[in-house]
Amino acid sequence: MGFKEQLGNQLLFFDGAMGTMLQERGLSSGELPELWNISKEEVILDIHKQYLASGCNIIKANTFGANPFKVEGTGYTCEELTAKGIAIVKRAIAESGREAYAALDIGSLGKLLEPLGDLSFEEAYEAFKPMCVAGAQAGADLCLIETMNDTYEIKAAVLAAKENTSLPIVVTMVFDEEGKLLTGADMAAAVALLEGLGADALGLNCGFGPDVMQKFLPRLRELTSLPIVVNPNAGLPSVVDGKTCFHVGAKEFAAVMKEIALDGVSILGGCCGTTPAHLAALVEACSGIPPLAVSDKNRSMVSSYTHAVEFNDRPKIIGERINPTGKSRFKQALRDQDLEYIYKEALAQQDLGAHILDVNVGLPEIDEVKMMRSVVTGLQGITDLPLQIDTSDARAMETALRLYNGKPLLNSVNGKQESMDAVFPLAAKYGAMVVCLTLDEGGIPKTAEGRIQIAEKIIAEAAKYGIQKKDLLIDTLTMTISTGQENAKVTLDALHYVRHVLGVHTTLGVSNISFGLPQRERVNTAFFTMALAQGLSAGIINPASEAMMSAYHAYCALNGSDSQCADYISAYSKQEQQPKQVAAKSGEVSLFDAVVRGLVESAYQAAKKELETKKPLEVIDQELIPALDQVGQGFEKKSVFLPQLLMSADAAKAGFDAIKEHLKAKGDASASKGTIVIATVKGDIHDIGKNIVKVLLENYGFQVIDLGKDVDPQLVLKAAREHQVKLVGLSALMTTTVANMEATIKLLKEELPSCKVMVGGAVLTQTYADMIGADFYSKDAMGSVRYANELFERTNV
Amino acid sequence: MKADRKETLRYLGYRGQQLDPGTAEMIEAIAAELEQGSSPKSVYQEYECKVNGDRIRIGSLEVESRHLAVNLKGCERAVLLAATIGRTADFLIRKYSVCNMAKAAVVQAAGAACIESYVDEVEDAVRKQARERGLYLRPRFSPGYGDFALDHQKDIFEMLACGKRIGVVLTEGNLMMPSKSVTAVIGLTTKERESCQMEKCSLCMKTDCEFRQEGEANGL
Repeated sequence: MGFKEQLGNQLLFFDGAMGTMLQERGLSSGELPELWNISKEEVILDIHKQYLASGCNIIKANTFGANPFKVEGTGYTCEELTAKGIAIVKRAIAESGREAYAALDIGSLGKLLEPLGDLSFEEAYEAFKPMCVAGAQAGADLCLIETMNDTYEIKAAVLAAKENTSLPIVVTMVFDEEGKLLTGADMAAAVALLEGLGADALGLNCGFGPDVMQKFLPRLRELTSLPIVVNPNAGLPSVVDGKTCFHVGAKEFAAVMKEIALDGVSILGGCCGTTPAHLAALVEACSGIPPLAVSDKNRSMVSSYTHAVEFNDRPKIIGERINPTGKSRFKQALRDQDLEYIYKEALAQQDLGAHILDVNVGLPEIDEVKMMRSVVTGLQGITDLPLQIDTSDARAMETALRLYNGKPLLNSVNGKQESMDAVFPLAAKYGAMVVCLTLDEGGIPKTAEGRIQIAEKIIAEAAKYGIQKKDLLIDTLTMTISTGQENAKVTLDALHYVRHVLGVHTTLGVSNISFGLPQRERVNTAFFTMALAQGLSAGIINPASEAMMSAYHAYCALNGSDSQCADYISAYSKQEQQPKQVAAKSGEVSLFDAVVRGLVESAYQAAKKELETKKPLEVIDQELIPALDQVGQGFEKKSVFLPQLLMSADAAKAGFDAIKEHLKAKGDASASKGTIVIATVKGDIHDIGKNIVKVLLENYGFQVIDLGKDVDPQLVLKAAREHQVKLVGLSALMTTTVANMEATIKLLKEELPSCKVMVGGAVLTQTYADMIGADFYSKDAMGSVRYANELFERTNV
Repeated sequence: MKADRKETLRYLGYRGQQLDPGTAEMIEAIAAELEQGSSPKSVYQEYECKVNGDRIRIGSLEVESRHLAVNLKGCERAVLLAATIGRTADFLIRKYSVCNMAKAAVVQAAGAACIESYVDEVEDAVRKQARERGLYLRPRFSPGYGDFALDHQKDIFEMLACGKRIGVVLTEGNLMMPSKSVTAVIGLTTKERESCQMEKCSLCMKTDCEFRQEGEANGL
């Protein structure tokens, strides 16, 4: 019987620790254990045999760290060490005469993925791939991806196994005391991701002993529809005389594991500190206990890299604003690759209460695949909300699904065969939930029955790909009532049937209902409430609409999903006097004062007011610049400190935004004072100082091309040359990266002798800056503004 | 773990300027957000320590550093320590760099204050355990201080299994990620007199530092 068939039919047993056993036999700390596959094969073989003799029926090969990063410089390849590891297990099984499975054991790469670390998702995938290929070729029976603490790395490993082998996949993770991975992901997020990706079993290993793991299991059983694996340590590690020790003995270990088995689990085994004695006691205590009865928990979930959002009786808000349709400013941002504008939209919607963000970045004139890649990667770095990938371009869709760190929501498929043929394979492969539009080759049915029929067709087609009803979100399509008064009723009748009779969750793009009517929000709000009452699971709306959000909060309080009206109360109990206060405040404050005091909204309003009577240049010269100068001088004299300076900078930026809008309305383009390229040098990843400089330079009217952090000297040169800049700003935080700063300066001086270079960063001093050939050393952000102003004034004259 | 508010202000360059209520409130809210979202973790191990001239051996770690040798003189045991406040600080800095630079700067400063106070806490635990055995702590000393080369981060990370145990890894340039993390060597001595509690700034050679606290370099 194969592993997959046996899994769930009987309790199975992984073996115990390898590392602990090797240390006892003389493995020194820092030595790569996988090298013993070659140098001490008999030792590895003997350990496997001991575990087999203990009654274990899944043996982990000694391949945990055989990835290309860790084996580099050992003289062996990842493939050699992996294949040899599997071969030793197979030999041990054969020689022992027992029946057991050989598990390819894959551990963490030991590097952090983007955005926190410097490893890209595809690099991680490429590192796991050769292990998977070599393991499968060597005859592994399953792939165990273990001791994982980052969902993104898990996804890379699972995809590598899935795309390059047909091995069953088991994933075990390390949760901390709070039940979270090191990345902050909770159990639901991990479960949603792994079930979506099609893992065969999931569970816990390392970190704790069985007693602590036992406490996590009720929650895990509640969440997952997959078999559960539990491989604990022999208690918590403690260090005695430089040696790591584990104190839970075999008997004690087995006693707790038996309790775990009785409560329901599919595979038991051990991690650090467990020995053949632990495993023998475990097998003896647990044999005969039936495995966990695996059942479908029927949860409709999407997830981000931190948490899951479940569709249930509590409706959800999908923020619609990351979408260029009908928005000229957004279109411009896409053309200019102004990602910051898009990120601000994301954060604003999150603050306003969105649960999921729709992401549509398609424009005919841009490369949508590239843009989707940048935006999804960027958004994952700044927001922890799940994303709804909204595109009709199949390549952009796959790019986003692949790079997405979590279980995504995909928008959308429809009833056309062509659409289903293109979208469902991708959704199945990457484990996405899918928005299904009830239209097909015949267009949008005019009746509720017609839309229901399409919904049924889509559900049936999805099933062919193994996509269950719980992973569909059906959109019965909102059509404006200005072209047909029965439109609202048709949509809502179909919605009600889909949710309550077909038992599938629903979504609608709500605001279409009022297209062509005046005062649209009035109609939208009423329709939204009606749809919620009919069973709308998720409304795609603009969370900036106060009326819509009020309708939402009120509905949740009314339908009982907002327990004790807690969210309603917290949203509205303090709001009564607020609007008046703000109005009074902004009325009083001048633009100058607003900037000096760092009041963003007031500065915007005051600038708009000033523009009614003054020319834009007058507003800049008489109010904005003097205010910025006052704050800047205060900063240099130390009467103003950094946060105040930056708050003023933000306020001034709001003032400039008002002026830009004004100019644009009149068809004027605003002239920049000059262009400056800035970068944090190669090897350095600390960029907050550089970002502060950027904000201030922009405030003073410079166009800043920000190359980011860890920037190669050649890239700095390329940008400086392309934009013909006369000033480059470089930052470095560490002594070790100042060498790269020097190299960058040298290259710039050779190739573009007229270009000036200013530098800054924690370890720099004037002396140091002189030594590496910089033209200017700025000890703080204002210094760079002063230098740039002087330089550009001098050379512009 | 807490972000000491005074330290946070100091890292922000605060020198007794007038602190308007809006700014004070914002700093408080951001420091609280960081504290709430962070989950500090640490790992440390004690090793045999041998100092021979400028050559030092701590377990399997071999270092040549005059400054560290002075720091560890006469210690037969030493502790290697790694600590982090986790990834939240980096996340919040990225997030606020998009929409509110002042807040990003505050997270940066509060994060620095948090990791310092957390390492102090961990060090206190080490101190307590040492005292039970009649040992005293030397001031902690980190790779990158003086001539203690940053390259040694690699060895320390392997010895402590930092990636697996506390989720901190090194970039190619040997910088730690998450960024609000610390590694250090702490010498253990039997002589209380030599354990002298020096202020951290007094150990640093950058005497013209804007953030320097009172006291002079210790003449290394």
